[in-house]
Amino acid sequence: MTRTIRRCIGLFACAALMACTAQPPAEVPTTAETVATPAALPNAIDIPVEYYKLDNGLKVVLSRDTTAPTVTVGVYYHIGFRIEPRGRTGFAHLFEHLMFQGSGNLGKMEFIRLVEGNGGVLNGSTRFDYTNYYQIVPAHVLETVLWAEADRMKALAITQANLENQQGVVKNEVRDNVMNQPYGGFPWLTMPQVANTNWFNAHNFYGDLADLDAATLEDAKSFFETYYAPNNAVVVVAGDFDPAAARAAIAKHFAAIPARAQPARPDLAEPAQQSEKRDSYVDRLAPRPALALAWQAPPRNTPEHFAFSLLDTILLQGQDSRLWQKLVQERGYSDAVGGGTNLLGNEFTYDGPMLWMLYLVHDPEATPEAIIADVDTEIARLQAEPPTAEELIRALTKLRASLYDLAGSSTRFGLVDLLACFALFDDDPARINRLEADFRAVSPQLIRDVARTYLTPARRTVQIVEPGRAGAPAEAPGGSP
Amino acid sequence: MNRLVVLATVLAATGAVAQEREAPPPPGTPHEFRLPAKETLQLDNGLSATFIEYGSVPKLTLLAVVRTGNIDEGEDTWLPDVTVEMMKEGTTTRSAFDIAKEAAGMGGALGLNVNAEQTTAGLSVLSDHAVGAVRLLADVLQNPRFPESELPRVVANFERSLAVARADPLALADEALAKLVYGDHPFGRMLPREGQVAAYDIAKLRDYYDRNFGARRTHVYVAGRYDREALEAALRGAFGGWREGPPATNLPAKPAEALQLALVDSPGAPQSSVRMAVPVPDPSHALYFQATLMNSLLGGTFGSRITSNIREDKGYSYSPDSSINARRGGALWVMSAEVTAEHTAAAITEIYKEIERLQREVPADAELTPVKNYRAGVFVISNSSPNGVLGQLAFMDLHGLPDDYLTNWVANVRAVTPAQVSEMARQFIRPERMTVVVAGDLATIGESVRTLPQFKGIAAKTP
Repeated sequence: MTRTIRRCIGLFACAALMACTAQPPAEVPTTAETVATPAALPNAIDIPVEYYKLDNGLKVVLSRDTTAPTVTVGVYYHIGFRIEPRGRTGFAHLFEHLMFQGSGNLGKMEFIRLVEGNGGVLNGSTRFDYTNYYQIVPAHVLETVLWAEADRMKALAITQANLENQQGVVKNEVRDNVMNQPYGGFPWLTMPQVANTNWFNAHNFYGDLADLDAATLEDAKSFFETYYAPNNAVVVVAGDFDPAAARAAIAKHFAAIPARAQPARPDLAEPAQQSEKRDSYVDRLAPRPALALAWQAPPRNTPEHFAFSLLDTILLQGQDSRLWQKLVQERGYSDAVGGGTNLLGNEFTYDGPMLWMLYLVHDPEATPEAIIADVDTEIARLQAEPPTAEELIRALTKLRASLYDLAGSSTRFGLVDLLACFALFDDDPARINRLEADFRAVSPQLIRDVARTYLTPARRTVQIVEPGRAGAPAEAPGGSP
Repeated sequence: MNRLVVLATVLAATGAVAQEREAPPPPGTPHEFRLPAKETLQLDNGLSATFIEYGSVPKLTLLAVVRTGNIDEGEDTWLPDVTVEMMKEGTTTRSAFDIAKEAAGMGGALGLNVNAEQTTAGLSVLSDHAVGAVRLLADVLQNPRFPESELPRVVANFERSLAVARADPLALADEALAKLVYGDHPFGRMLPREGQVAAYDIAKLRDYYDRNFGARRTHVYVAGRYDREALEAALRGAFGGWREGPPATNLPAKPAEALQLALVDSPGAPQSSVRMAVPVPDPSHALYFQATLMNSLLGGTFGSRITSNIREDKGYSYSPDSSINARRGGALWVMSAEVTAEHTAAAITEIYKEIERLQREVPADAELTPVKNYRAGVFVISNSSPNGVLGQLAFMDLHGLPDDYLTNWVANVRAVTPAQVSEMARQFIRPERMTVVVAGDLATIGESVRTLPQFKGIAAKTP
């Protein structure tokens, strides 16, 4: 009965994707709930990774696994909501919807019908630094899907009516996920706007409704031509396929799409925070206060970054973690404490500065100060003493299990996500097989040291949600059942 | 040992494309899909265990399904939820922290869940820890300590969750729907009264546990990679001494079959939550497959008629969806949509239009065949991982479905005709039997909903 805070930004509600099956679905691709942190002990996994580029710059990653006769195709573009143009907040996400509205050889709804009608599921989502489109289909439908993805990479055919229709859909998405539910957008959407100072990291990623309304066909055309170029994308194919046939199909359908010059990426640098920030706002629907804390995480791919991932596991991930034990089990502030690095993915699926957050909904009897003091106590403990060997082994075991889960998933969604990000952001998808070594290279002392450097009060932002229904009794409008 | 083999014959469906356009390359030859073998045995105390060797990575998932849930709570709403949450608070030999640490040390996390008729305890671990995982799961199920000291905190958590649910327009719509459809049956009470949970004491929790937990009601499923002999020995050792306990409750729900409308006020809501529900055959019924195909075509897929209409044509809603809620004896077809406030009545009208069109006109083969392909494809995806197979088997056991439910699944889907789909809509999705709930800003939308022709002659309820 406990309730998790819903996080979704995408074409279609995450949980509804396979809801039409009367059976409990196996592993619904809940895009926002990718495993927290993959890592491995030596020789834990060896994921096949074939990586190459077409002449037009399109990156291609193939990862074969014939356990089940299905194949997952992911097409990722290196354009996400934080790098969308100024004055067009929410445009990256609106545009994701437009990619389903028609292309050279496929009319509105035809892409969706082509995939579903051949036994597949599909979705798209917009994240900090990428927009992705993916399908999980029966293995023999691979080329059909590659053709369709290439068709919409070549040319979009959007009408004014379809643009307006999707503006309506996206505004309803914002109402669903933000405006018409308690704690909507908290803290994944609300915290970056307070903690960050660089506009790119700090604007409303879902978009102001006025900006969404102001979007024009011309904007869409220009956005497509700028960012949806093959040299700004990666195609990942994972699952049951014939490698030679897959390579041939990718060349046939994608190779003729011309490369286009890419603008310089905006400067995403976020200055190191010098003093604590505080923010609070009233949530019309919230019956209880909520608290989120955020700190700037270390730069991606540094030794400190890997150490910080282990710190996150030890402090915050799972019921055995220190903060869960302190805040939930011992103090009883809430039934859960959530958080991590990158709430819309994991610590590898972004390309720029990122916040580490924790959040909880609590009762009014517990003050934010008391909760923060307890968090500080746990942080101070880690700053004073490195984690124990037992804790570190447990963290590495959890990470190893989550890496197996990536490899063994029937949707392969987490695997495709990681391969795509490692190709797009690092030009090196094979690094998935080196994660184990990177994590094992972290010393307990480095975990202590990153706690000292990064988790200071001066680098912290506190966000408080004040209940709009403060003091309202927990009763049903109209009485009890 | 049954070797279940299914060939997922997914046919080409290329959609209608204009002549001057390039047609998609047709799909190739379907690959064979083989359902994994399973083996079931029963211990002397009545506990069942099913083994499925499956998967490509050295992990295994244990899922213990106890046939008890909210159906057994009587009028004590959420008593099973509180009891099961308290089972995480420790056993006679392990503290809550011990349980969490031990599960994490094996690469997993213990999950306990209460559903309408099933309570599940699940744990997914590295294969090396199979035996330890069985022992931990068995201890949590058989030896709860129910520590008095932790109850106030657990109760406070449920009261907080309740307050959040009461503030959520979507949850209020769901609650009103359950109440109108299932009435006094436990399924009709989704949320407890204020103060109700706080009155549950340890004696009450223990009594619920004693009355509803035991070997006879429990089925342990194991899927993944493991040493079969060691695992079976561990299961027999850890569960063989559990008391038999009582048999499962049989209390089939009887959903309402009369037209009802309820309006729930959510002042200032920018959207309205629309719920429309009507009884349909449950999975044990011969017509179930036909009903699920009807649902997929009508509102259950992205490309379905209702989604195409109110989302892709009108833009009224982001995520409309219809589904079959497979409660035993009282399955429901439920249409759910969050719609822009000013389009509430228009959206409901369009949903009725789509229902009536399907009742009136037999859909073309060209529309139904892709829906069948979709269902066959999702079947393969759903059964392509150990966790997916576990879910399917637990579902089959709840509904008493034979093994050939899975082996015949694709063939049964293929056999459904367009005329049958239309007949399902005529026979079951009948507006005059429908329960409709709308939660929204009644001051602005109430009148337009009340005066829809479908609700002529009935008074709107305020649950």
